[in-house]
Amino acid sequence: MTQATMTARERAPRAPLTRLLRAELRWIFRRPRTLVVLGMLALLPVVVGIALTLVDSPGPPGGGPNGAGGGESLLVSAGGNALVLPVAALGMALALLLPLAAAMAGADAVAGETAHGTLRGWLLTPVSRGRLLLVKAFGVAAVAVAAVVAMALTGIVTGLVINGGGTLFTLSGTTLSFPAAVGKVALAAGWVALQLWAVGAVALAISTWTEHPMLVVVSVLAGTILFSVLGALDALDWLHPFLLNDSWQAIGDVLRDPVPTGELTEGALRALCYIAIALSIAYARLTTKDG
Amino acid sequence: MNPKRKAVAVAAAGTALGVAGLGVIAMPAGADAAPELPPVSAEALVESVFSAESPALSGTIELDNGLGLPAIPGAPALDMDSARVHNDGEGRSRLAMQDGGTERTIVHDGATVWNYDSASNTATKTTLPAEAATGHGMTGDGQVTDPTSAAKDVLQAVRQSSTVTVDGTARVADRAAYELVLTPKPTERTLLREVRVAVDSETRLPLRLAVLTHGTTEPALQVGFSDVEFGPQPAGLFRFTPPPGATVEERQADQGREHAPKTEAEPQFDAVGEGWDTVLVGEVPAELLTQQAPGSDDVNVRGLLGQIGKPVTGSFGSGHVISTNVGNALVTDDGRVAFGAVPEQVLIQTLGDR
Repeated sequence: MTQATMTARERAPRAPLTRLLRAELRWIFRRPRTLVVLGMLALLPVVVGIALTLVDSPGPPGGGPNGAGGGESLLVSAGGNALVLPVAALGMALALLLPLAAAMAGADAVAGETAHGTLRGWLLTPVSRGRLLLVKAFGVAAVAVAAVVAMALTGIVTGLVINGGGTLFTLSGTTLSFPAAVGKVALAAGWVALQLWAVGAVALAISTWTEHPMLVVVSVLAGTILFSVLGALDALDWLHPFLLNDSWQAIGDVLRDPVPTGELTEGALRALCYIAIALSIAYARLTTKDG
Repeated sequence: MNPKRKAVAVAAAGTALGVAGLGVIAMPAGADAAPELPPVSAEALVESVFSAESPALSGTIELDNGLGLPAIPGAPALDMDSARVHNDGEGRSRLAMQDGGTERTIVHDGATVWNYDSASNTATKTTLPAEAATGHGMTGDGQVTDPTSAAKDVLQAVRQSSTVTVDGTARVADRAAYELVLTPKPTERTLLREVRVAVDSETRLPLRLAVLTHGTTEPALQVGFSDVEFGPQPAGLFRFTPPPGATVEERQADQGREHAPKTEAEPQFDAVGEGWDTVLVGEVPAELLTQQAPGSDDVNVRGLLGQIGKPVTGSFGSGHVISTNVGNALVTDDGRVAFGAVPEQVLIQTLGDR
């Protein structure tokens, strides 16, 4: 932190929040790794779409294994249906790749800055710790939204290019208009983004306890895999409602008509609970952290 | 108060709130005490079920399958997570069975039945004969579209040979319900202990059907609403237009059975015995036994029987017994078949007597 900015901050003791948020966004989206990850995620629906066209078969009968996220089994219907592809790609990436991206953003937000020594500047400035957390959480949330929106957009475009505009229909066989189809994908994307905010919040909480960003990513990765394994064990079904990814397979429900809201709502509430817990812990840790 | 301690207090409160929220989500639904309802006699309850109009409703049906069926890859029908039912009360219904990321939608609009499978993107249109159009509950494929008819059929079939009682009340899908219990008379040679039907106290719609076997507390088979709402349904739900690119097959309800796939092309069965120990006896066409088993490339049906069945011999010859928690099936090597909710000795005896 240079002397000039220090004095600038002192003269304006309450930096406007919007300026802080904009600065954080610029800081995040200028990192090459953020852009690379976003670009790779955006490519995923394209690759899946092309692969499905090349294979050109309705997929294995009986559907995929049940434990590995909703995306795989949705792929059965994704060939020949422009609506299913973006949602299937989101569901597939939600199993591991998207949480990884959220974890990376959460790791960079606090632990990464601690490691580089740039967090010290934040802690010394007259920005309250609550605001600091708000800015960091906003940054992580923005990365999650960017990833989801990028995937949804490339997914829709790929689906339309490969299958044509007339192939927007639900799993229940209802043909949808283009705006209605976009609405369905937006619903799926919004729901996935909420789940990623929960993952990002957990990453942020871990991030405040360590100065090794790698540790954050590894923890979230291990947690995601562990939760999937626990979720696949029938003997632990009392535990399942506590696992964040318990309802991640419900992403396919947005493709049904009418949409069964039960599990989607439950998943959204669960994500909100995780966000409340994780941000509380992160707040406590950030406030008690010494500058 | 020290701002740091205040922050920690806020954080503790937030964490507690989140954990409490998770706890609420995890709380099993329907754990309430049994509701208080005016007593009703078994006869009156059964009669009200038979006379009740099929109400307009939307709901989710869940199937708990503890049948202990041998695992057959790709076996249809019972292979579903849950099903959503819509009924307009006037013979139109919609059933959406979901299985992983696919869905099978059956729309019954009064005159035609559409059966759409999202996995293969095929729609089958069945035109019902005029007199069947008013019948409700069953589609042209003989598939049950709501538990109403399932319970009614069971009631009708077992009344002569069973004790019918009302055994308290229950709360099913957040509705107060009477528990109607059908117990086989002691002379019946059956694997089943009792069949419980939870009947909604207001609409008299059967909400849940549970089959219990001897020696277990968990139902071997339970079909029931996990949530249900009564009220008019949007008419659009009962119309179906096949999506672009879908394979559309048309068939008449009468011819349907001939063209139907193997599982529905069932030969004629004779019922032997009465009541709970009824044994259905029939013959399986020889080509069926050599047909390829569903979901596998190199095993035919006869080979599959060898894998999942237990070889038995008796005065009928030799064959395989396939056991489940609720019943047994005996398929002889020369293609005769007998099955029922009975011990395997009854099957062997029945085939031997013929």
